[in-house]
Amino acid sequence: MRRRSVLLLIALALLAALVVPAAAQPKDTLTIALASHAPTLDPHMHFERVGILVNVNMFDSLLHRNTKLEYEGGLATSWKALNETTWEFKLRRGVTFHNGDPLTAEDVKFSFERVLEPGKEKKRSPQYGNIRAIKEVRIVDPDTIQLITDKPFPLLLERLVFFPIVPKKHIEKVGDDAFGATAPVGTGPWKFVEWKRDQYIKLEAFDGYWRGKPPFKWLVVRAIPEVATQVAELKTGGVDLIRNVSADLIPELKANPQTYVSSTPILRVHYVELDMRQAPFDKKLVRQAANYAIDKQAIIQKLMGGLGQQTATVVQPRAFGFDAEVKPYPFDPKKAKALLAQAGYPSGVDITLHSAFVEFRPVFEAIAQMLTDVGLRANPRMWDPGPAWNKFFQAEGKASHGAYGSWGNYSVFDADAVLHPLFHTEVGGWIGKWYTRVEGLDKLIDEGRSTTNQPQRKRTYAQIQKLIAEEAPAIYLFTQYDTLALSKRVEYAARGDEWLWLFDARPKR
Amino acid sequence: MTPFIVRRLLRLAVVIVGVSLVTFAILHVSGDPVALIMPEAPEADRALLRQALGLHDPLPVQFARFLGHVVTGNFGKSFFHHGQTATALVLERMPTTLTLTAFSLFLALAVALPVGIASAVRRGRALDQVATGTVFLGQSMPVFWTGIMLMLLFSVQWRLLPVSGWESWAAVVLPTATLSTFTTPLLLRIVRSSMLDVIGQDYVRTARAKGLTEWLVIGRHALKNAALPLVTVIGLQFGLLLGGAVITETVFAVPGVGRLIVGAIRQLDFPVVQAGVFMLAMIVVSVNFLVDVLYLYLNPQIRLR
Repeated sequence: MRRRSVLLLIALALLAALVVPAAAQPKDTLTIALASHAPTLDPHMHFERVGILVNVNMFDSLLHRNTKLEYEGGLATSWKALNETTWEFKLRRGVTFHNGDPLTAEDVKFSFERVLEPGKEKKRSPQYGNIRAIKEVRIVDPDTIQLITDKPFPLLLERLVFFPIVPKKHIEKVGDDAFGATAPVGTGPWKFVEWKRDQYIKLEAFDGYWRGKPPFKWLVVRAIPEVATQVAELKTGGVDLIRNVSADLIPELKANPQTYVSSTPILRVHYVELDMRQAPFDKKLVRQAANYAIDKQAIIQKLMGGLGQQTATVVQPRAFGFDAEVKPYPFDPKKAKALLAQAGYPSGVDITLHSAFVEFRPVFEAIAQMLTDVGLRANPRMWDPGPAWNKFFQAEGKASHGAYGSWGNYSVFDADAVLHPLFHTEVGGWIGKWYTRVEGLDKLIDEGRSTTNQPQRKRTYAQIQKLIAEEAPAIYLFTQYDTLALSKRVEYAARGDEWLWLFDARPKR
Repeated sequence: MTPFIVRRLLRLAVVIVGVSLVTFAILHVSGDPVALIMPEAPEADRALLRQALGLHDPLPVQFARFLGHVVTGNFGKSFFHHGQTATALVLERMPTTLTLTAFSLFLALAVALPVGIASAVRRGRALDQVATGTVFLGQSMPVFWTGIMLMLLFSVQWRLLPVSGWESWAAVVLPTATLSTFTTPLLLRIVRSSMLDVIGQDYVRTARAKGLTEWLVIGRHALKNAALPLVTVIGLQFGLLLGGAVITETVFAVPGVGRLIVGAIRQLDFPVVQAGVFMLAMIVVSVNFLVDVLYLYLNPQIRLR
């Protein structure tokens, strides 16, 4: 009997040892949750948001955007255009990499050429398309470099906000693969310590950081795929920050005494792009009818928790070139029906829409229902992203009459970043090359992107927005918000470019 | 005995070829990985990448290449994880998944055996009724739901265990418990019903008549015969458990093979999916093979055939 109770005690003690209470975060650690880890920590060899969010805290680019989303100096202290195709950058002095090597102009040149790979036909980097316009990187003196583009490239500065500078000597020594997996070295606020794939990335504050001391000694990036799990971790103090909080979770996280919510409009814009090559959307009146048919405010309020902003076209209010003169289509089902009848469809018409935007399925279905209500009897087809694009591309977009989706603009605050991919018909473009047939639009988009004269570009984009508002090559919807939920022990605000620039985070109190 | 094993081994080979073919076929009708790697890129850039990944070759060529991978165990480099071979990625995560699966199988057995035996021996009594009721409940709950409920209770409400991760032994508890609710009910039912079958038989009565203790009668004589269907079911369950591990790993953010494969399917990372599915299939096939061999030991009738 006595022996048995001793055994029981031991068993209980063992159990107690196992049962470590959910660890509260040490004070100098900031832990964030992402849905997954990018395949590599090499900032040039992927194009995943989850990867960029980690990279920006380890690496610096030539330019940086502050919380108001204005440019400020990063590794460049000043920059100017010498002519339409040549930009000159003064490099910041006294910057060192995490391994102690000083930053040189050679590193900058190396970073660009690593992505551009001049002379090679196959490019390794998925970011190549972003900076392909750069023809040459010229070192003028140890503190000055010039970027020469093949034609006027107004988006250059935008592209340089996320273009991390990496150490030439180090990469040549350890090799590309090790650089991305076990030995990433940058100039940013935190340096690499350890990466357990699908578990956590552990970073340590870099004492020699040129901006000053990072606010937390440790930065841990955990990979947690399930939203419910992320929320449970946040509530119990296992993580301090989660992203992409959906509308239905917001009240709960606002009410919780340990957590708060930070939300901001982002560049992502929702649209239904219409196939103008075939009936019924070959007729302008039908496309306009579709725009009148959608109650955008109802969708924003009822399905998105109020976190959205109606847009007149696909151009964002905060993008360069936005024209406030162009007004959004109001919700007017009567007018929609009248236009449809006028276009020759008094008893309506059957259409198919498709989408691979799985997270917004309810919005997609609401849109289809509203179109059906005015006589555009829509059959919404939801596909998983992979198969959907396959089908879409193989059929050159003819698989349906329209596609519901969203465009993130690659966080580029310029009208061109959305107009060209969505509406330009050039071979090699995105959806526009199949769907859009608006006379004169290609020429205007080309005009806008082939000069760096900003006032002139602004006029061009105003003209474009009037044209596409009238021609309606898409159903224009709204912008999306980015919503973070945070632990009250950390002070941080969501940014309009969806970055997590954690150098701005502060421990509370 | 040897012909039996040889026959089983041959069947194993057929299964492996079948698995390869099905994996390959399903993946290749499911879409274009390049469209996912560069979702917003121009077609010209995609074509270059497609060529670099060997995706422009005709399907038979790609399948032949894949079969070569199967034979050499080298499935090529991942499309997404730069510089990593698919085999290494899968092997890196395999111990986690096997630990999770094995632990939950042990836990399931540790519950199912005693409770199953007890409810067979005391059929119709309170314990039996509670056990049968729990089985019914356990089988009706989907794994992800059970997982989230356990998490809400033990981690959020009572703060006893970590919510997720795989960094400490405490973190292993909830995923293991969750996954075992998947198998325990079934095993329990099998133990109970086969035990009921056996204890009605003549030799059990004989054993009792010899004056053996009830412990020996049940433990030695009855259990060994009742174990036969149990072993079969465990063999089959092992595959299902690996499947359940996919969901459990996602819910509890466990860095296992299941999560790797789900991620790879989403990204159409062919080499990783192929390596992962193939290696998991190999494990299931091997376990079933072991079960067959174990039969030889448990049931002499098979040896004679």
